[in-house]
Amino acid sequence: METEQGLESHEAASDDRVGFGFWVYLMTDLLMFSVLFATFSVLRNNTAGGPMGNELFKLPGVLAETLILLTSSFTAGLGMLAARRGSKSQVLMWFGLTFLLGVAFLVLELKEFAAFVHEGHTWRSNASLSSFFVLVGTHGAHITSGLLWMGTTLVYIWKRGLDSHLVRKLSLLSLFWHFLDIVWIFIFTVVYLMAFV
Amino acid sequence: MSSNPTHKPGTQPEHHGTMTSYVTGFILSLIFTLIPYYLVTHKTFDKTELLLIIFGFAVLQMAVQVIFFLHLGREKKPHWNTLFLISTISIIFLVVGGSLWIMKNLHYNMAGMEVMDKIATDEAVYQVGGKQAGTCPAGTGTNHEIMLMGNVATPTHVDAHVCDTITFMNHDATTREISFGTSAQPAMYAGEGSMTAYGRHDTPMRLTELGTYKFHDSKEARITGDFTVTN
Repeated sequence: METEQGLESHEAASDDRVGFGFWVYLMTDLLMFSVLFATFSVLRNNTAGGPMGNELFKLPGVLAETLILLTSSFTAGLGMLAARRGSKSQVLMWFGLTFLLGVAFLVLELKEFAAFVHEGHTWRSNASLSSFFVLVGTHGAHITSGLLWMGTTLVYIWKRGLDSHLVRKLSLLSLFWHFLDIVWIFIFTVVYLMAFV
Repeated sequence: MSSNPTHKPGTQPEHHGTMTSYVTGFILSLIFTLIPYYLVTHKTFDKTELLLIIFGFAVLQMAVQVIFFLHLGREKKPHWNTLFLISTISIIFLVVGGSLWIMKNLHYNMAGMEVMDKIATDEAVYQVGGKQAGTCPAGTGTNHEIMLMGNVATPTHVDAHVCDTITFMNHDATTREISFGTSAQPAMYAGEGSMTAYGRHDTPMRLTELGTYKFHDSKEARITGDFTVTN
């Protein structure tokens, strides 16, 4: 591990503030997710005679989503290492891979939603499904905005090359991506696995 | 791992991960995903134990990601990010734990499900030999009580007439799934294989079918009995 020589330049100090500000945003986002988790946990059995989670969810598909998201978090980390080495081609490769994995995750999630709606189990069916769609859908919306952010940043890097500003952006982006991974772990556990206990 | 010793300004030198930390984190997070998945799909534990175990794995998983992916705690002192995370987690415990606690008590005192069951029983179709023969007028018929207490049912036999009710008075905290027939030979009564007697609640059942039927609790062998319905 390299020795950390703090660079007390003006720019580094302002980066510290940006980093902390972004962290504050992530924590408030976490609070919002926790409220959605509380709502879902309270309402999960209120299916008004409709199917319970264990009749509705398909665990293998959810496991696939989880593994895809975990891998994308890993490739984002490798992309960050490449960014710190200043290797533009590797940044594009690793974050490109992260982007594709994110798209794959989103496609699987939307397919799951579409299957539920097709079977007549929508967010209007009962309180349990409403809270399910809001919780999992909010996470999906975050993934979507993360993908938009990643896509535009990658285009910038591809056109202009890596500079310290873009590396900074990537570090916040990967922070966001790891954060979404953590939230998903709790969705995987609380929403999906616990339905089968 | 390989790293450029000359940092560019603004690349936030204090938050670095290394290849080793990412690989370790990735492998650990895969393990902590697959173990709870295996445990749930193979039902190896009791309900409560399993819930605690898989939630424990989620927390471990979060710790792994925070340490190996977010590299928290490696920032410059003071550790504002870590402190803020800890305070956020405390608030989450209050909000989520508090909501669950309150709503559990509310549900316990309001007994919303029993109302649904009661309506269903009151509107039960009066069947004779499997054929529909009208409905039981609500509020008629004698009520017979079967008490579930200390894991035993008393009395173990009830003689009743059509359109009478049997009320399972569950004095235990455990919710009982009263199945009809025996565990070896399950039977249906009025189109139902079983009924739920919630813990510390009275659950009525309308007697719409003639004959003698056994009932039992699949989890507690001592709760068993039968009832005879005549015209």
